[in-house]
Amino acid sequence: MIKIENLIKKYSKQTVLEIDSLDIPIGQTFGLIGNNGAGKTTLFSSLLDLIKPSKGRVINNGIDVSESEDWKSFTTAFLDETFLIGYLMPEEYLYFIGELRGLNKKEVDAFLAQFEDFFHGEILGGKKYLRDLSKGNQKKVGVIAALIGEPKVVILDEPFANLDPTTQIRLKAIVKDMSKNKDVTILISSHDIQDVTEVCERIVLLEKGRVIKDLVTSPQTLKELESYFKGE
Amino acid sequence: MFKMMFGLQWKEFNRGKSVGGKLLAKILKWFGIIYFAFMAFLMGMIASRYGGPSMEFPVEEDTIAPFLFLNKQLIYVFAYLIVVRYFIQSLPVLNIRALLLTPILKTKIVRFSLLKTVLTYFNILPLFFLMPFSFLLTSSGNYDITALIFWNINIIGLIYITNFLNFLLNNKDKLLYTIGGLLALIKGLEYYSIVDFTDYSEQFFYLFYSHPYAVAFTWLLVFWLYGYVHKYMLQGLYIDTGLQVKIKEAKMEDFSFLDRFGKTATFIKNDLRLLKRSKRARMAVYMGIGCLFYGLIFVPSEEIFGPGLMFFGYLFSTGGFLFMFGSFVPSWDSQYYPLMMTQNIAYKEYLNSKWSLVIIATLISTVFASVIYSFLGTNAVYAVLAGALYNIGVNGYLTLWAGAYTKTPIDLNSSANAFGDKKAFNAKTILVGIPQMLLPVVVYYFTSQYYDHFTGCLAVAAIGTLGIFLKPVAFSLILKAYKTEKYSTLKAYKSN
Repeated sequence: MIKIENLIKKYSKQTVLEIDSLDIPIGQTFGLIGNNGAGKTTLFSSLLDLIKPSKGRVINNGIDVSESEDWKSFTTAFLDETFLIGYLMPEEYLYFIGELRGLNKKEVDAFLAQFEDFFHGEILGGKKYLRDLSKGNQKKVGVIAALIGEPKVVILDEPFANLDPTTQIRLKAIVKDMSKNKDVTILISSHDIQDVTEVCERIVLLEKGRVIKDLVTSPQTLKELESYFKGE
Repeated sequence: MFKMMFGLQWKEFNRGKSVGGKLLAKILKWFGIIYFAFMAFLMGMIASRYGGPSMEFPVEEDTIAPFLFLNKQLIYVFAYLIVVRYFIQSLPVLNIRALLLTPILKTKIVRFSLLKTVLTYFNILPLFFLMPFSFLLTSSGNYDITALIFWNINIIGLIYITNFLNFLLNNKDKLLYTIGGLLALIKGLEYYSIVDFTDYSEQFFYLFYSHPYAVAFTWLLVFWLYGYVHKYMLQGLYIDTGLQVKIKEAKMEDFSFLDRFGKTATFIKNDLRLLKRSKRARMAVYMGIGCLFYGLIFVPSEEIFGPGLMFFGYLFSTGGFLFMFGSFVPSWDSQYYPLMMTQNIAYKEYLNSKWSLVIIATLISTVFASVIYSFLGTNAVYAVLAGALYNIGVNGYLTLWAGAYTKTPIDLNSSANAFGDKKAFNAKTILVGIPQMLLPVVVYYFTSQYYDHFTGCLAVAAIGTLGIFLKPVAFSLILKAYKTEKYSTLKAYKSN
């Protein structure tokens, strides 16, 4: 589904990303892990054509993302709060995203019904604009918005960070549930090795912009990652 | 301490994104200030010999007349000063939160932000008027120099009262509405010649000349107001009082009647919500309404300014919202630009929705402007319509195109706290607009000089109409600009 070819991003002389080749097949739940500055967000931003790579290209379902905008019709993402429109109410925001993805109000409502649990009665039907919600609740709205309209590729940057324990568990269940659908490719980044090993089928470890490890998740994966980050 | 604070501000300016643009804006601003200083100086000289419309200019015998005439007008000078300050003067913006826990005394933080405004050009420019005016008056030998000096000190005191009042007007809505209502009432009573305030104005301001010690009251008021604002700002230094973002109860807004316009409507709905819910965006609407009357400014002095400037006034009257809103596309969406760039929308649809909004607003303005200016005769209406066509056919594209390069992030939420930057519009916006206005005025001026007023309007209208037909070409050019600027725009907005 996603092919990364010879991707290099440099800021002046510092190379922040350098990936020779990376293939993410359709339906894979892909985890990205690494310390601060490893290049996780840079990689996701170049997948979404939000930054221009110094070299190389990203192919999403056969489309070079910097050449054409067609990938936008089947790709969704939630990277940070810049994906939220502060002056809208959560419902208005979700309807807006739904409309862009060709869903009317009723269809969005039907879609949201399955996440009632997840929203915990705090988000829909409130009297607040998105800008006035807590960081955690904002994230919930953003993540759910990224799932609207049956996308084929979903990119989530640190979706589990800043969430309360209950929400974390529920979100993991949602992601696992979604990964059963073999049409949907999910890309997740995290700082938490436990989280990624729990939900992802494949884990790539980035360090200073390079792929250090590329693992298929197994019972040993957690140990392996742990010992790497301990510096052993 | 002050040195350190200035150091921080300098770094903020110097290390922010798009320093070049900011620098250019600063340079242009200073050119503007020098220009106004020069004009003020000139007007001061003229005013010292101008005894009012009923007298011959220059006044030779009755040398007290110019002084009395100025005193008559001062009430309006101060009224306008209050209004202009409210709309244009930006209050100092400090990154207050970061300073709260440092060992800097809170009173010092407040004092810094208050005293920084003391030397603002709003307070200095009037001196350029007062100095030649007073100097030329004294040279006539009919004035008591000491009394005149005290009169000047009084005026300066009143200027500082408006300076500190501006802090309160920006933070206290009730006071704003009271003062605004009062000013409107004064203007209204004068307009319908029910009460002539200029006589009271003359008596009041002359008092400070005949009884120089009265100036003490003015300056007592200045210091009292300074103390009051100081106290008010000090109270605002808690994260749950002045620094807290006021949360308003949200209400759903549907606008589903717009759905028939397809994807364009999706964005227009959002922009309507933006205009309703963000103070900064709302200002664009108010400015648009205000600009409707812009042409009237030039009416009483048509003979002095000539037809070219009159036409400029008409042109601006329909383009207020276009400039105030359009110049900040896509900056209105700066806070969620990455979202916009990854959604299932083509740039073209996005731009088209913004363009449509601006054009609809221009059309509405045109209807109102036509009604307002119809009182001035058909020639005025021709000019309004020609200007509107030009705004639609040319300026609509130009503002959008310029927007691709503006890249100033707008923090839509900042206006809610007492130290936040509330001004979306500054000298920069207006300066960007001037070149767009110059061409039609020049075209009109020359054709109307060679032929007549109607042909001049027709020529401008023709350019506008041509622009409307060239929409696909214009859009593909704008699109190209937006696409090449996409990455640097994203980067610039990130520094928000």
